[in-house]
Amino acid sequence: MNQQLTFDTAFSELKKLVNQIEDDEIQLDTLAEKVNEANELIQFCESKLRTIKTETAKQS
Amino acid sequence: MPTPQKLSTLINEIDATIRNRFAGNTFWIKAEITDVKKQPDKQWCFLKFIEKDGNTITTEMKAVFWSNAYYNIVAFEKETQQVFVSGLEITCNVRVRFHKRYGIDLEVLEIDFAYAVGKLELERKQILDRLVRDNPAIQLLSNGNYATPNKQALLPTVFKSIALITAPNSDGQRDFNKVIDHNKYGYAFAVTPFLTTIQGDTASLLILQQLQLIAASKIHFDVVVIVRGGGSDIDFKSFNDYELAKTIALFPIPILTGIGHDRNTSIADLMARQLKTPTEVATFILENNMSFEREIEILKERFFYSIDKALKEAATALTGYRQRVKNLHPTTILNKGFAIVKMNNKIITNPQNINTGDEIQVILKTETIYSIITKKLKNEPTTNI
Repeated sequence: MNQQLTFDTAFSELKKLVNQIEDDEIQLDTLAEKVNEANELIQFCESKLRTIKTETAKQS
Repeated sequence: MPTPQKLSTLINEIDATIRNRFAGNTFWIKAEITDVKKQPDKQWCFLKFIEKDGNTITTEMKAVFWSNAYYNIVAFEKETQQVFVSGLEITCNVRVRFHKRYGIDLEVLEIDFAYAVGKLELERKQILDRLVRDNPAIQLLSNGNYATPNKQALLPTVFKSIALITAPNSDGQRDFNKVIDHNKYGYAFAVTPFLTTIQGDTASLLILQQLQLIAASKIHFDVVVIVRGGGSDIDFKSFNDYELAKTIALFPIPILTGIGHDRNTSIADLMARQLKTPTEVATFILENNMSFEREIEILKERFFYSIDKALKEAATALTGYRQRVKNLHPTTILNKGFAIVKMNNKIITNPQNINTGDEIQVILKTETIYSIITKKLKNEPTTNI
């Protein structure tokens, strides 16, 4: 997964997946892949909320 | 030389003269106070009234609050939100006293709070007017609030890195950390303290310097929190300072203030996002992160609900296809009493390909009948199938 993922990008990626699945735009073949992607995004948000990464550089 | 008189004779005359002129009278005066020495345990306060011409003191008089009037000082601090200290100008009711040993002084009987509050209000209004006049980015809105770049700076989706300006070991710091540390949701925050005095004459400059440190820091901060502990109901002076208010208004990182109580709104509060107490600021931060997590939860539920639905639909469709395939299978058809007609091992679907005399095979469920065509007739609507 992208190392530069932020809360905002994770949220919008997840939202995109939800919209795709709700609009029947996902092929059954790729379903497993999408589920994995969604799980990773959710996991990212939930764990990032609960851990501190010491940030040494300013994000602009 | 005439015979000298005793000191007491002269002083008695002075005493009598003063008494004659001032006894039973009180006077309203307006003056600056200095050398204020409060003795809360005894309920006394010694001070001096002065009047200046520029920086030169031209008039000076000792004064005192005795215990019967001391409540005025307590009330003054409560009403005006500022400490009764040297440098203030007050309006008060006094009585002239003369003591043969300690000399002349003024006994303060009452302070005019309305004057003090009015004066503060005027100063406050002047500072607010100046902020708007000299800084085009600061605007007074029709609802009485102020629009500032700081208030318009977007809050992050999630708060993680917090710069905390507060006094060391203060109630404010404790109250804030109590909510943030070990919160029941398990959210982690990186709180960097910027500790300084936040009360007193130099406080506004010290707070301003902390803001400059934050702006120059290598650490990225999502938010700056300025909190002041409970208990200190007075002395908001530093938060009404023009330079500090201006710096806050123009500061690029969102600032949350928790420096007062219900009835206190300082100018600094008006320039940033104001919450009442350190606890409220911390709760606001937690709730922001909670609401983000809730949105993620909702997306998660929607996603897996739809995945579940898609899989169920696919399974239902598959069952349907299987049934249709089964229904169409030749065995199913033969079981129902239909037959298959073949000629030269090919299924005949078009009777035109068959002529009288041809040999065909009629395949039934259990046997195949070989027959020669003797007659062909077109089906009529009345033909009984």
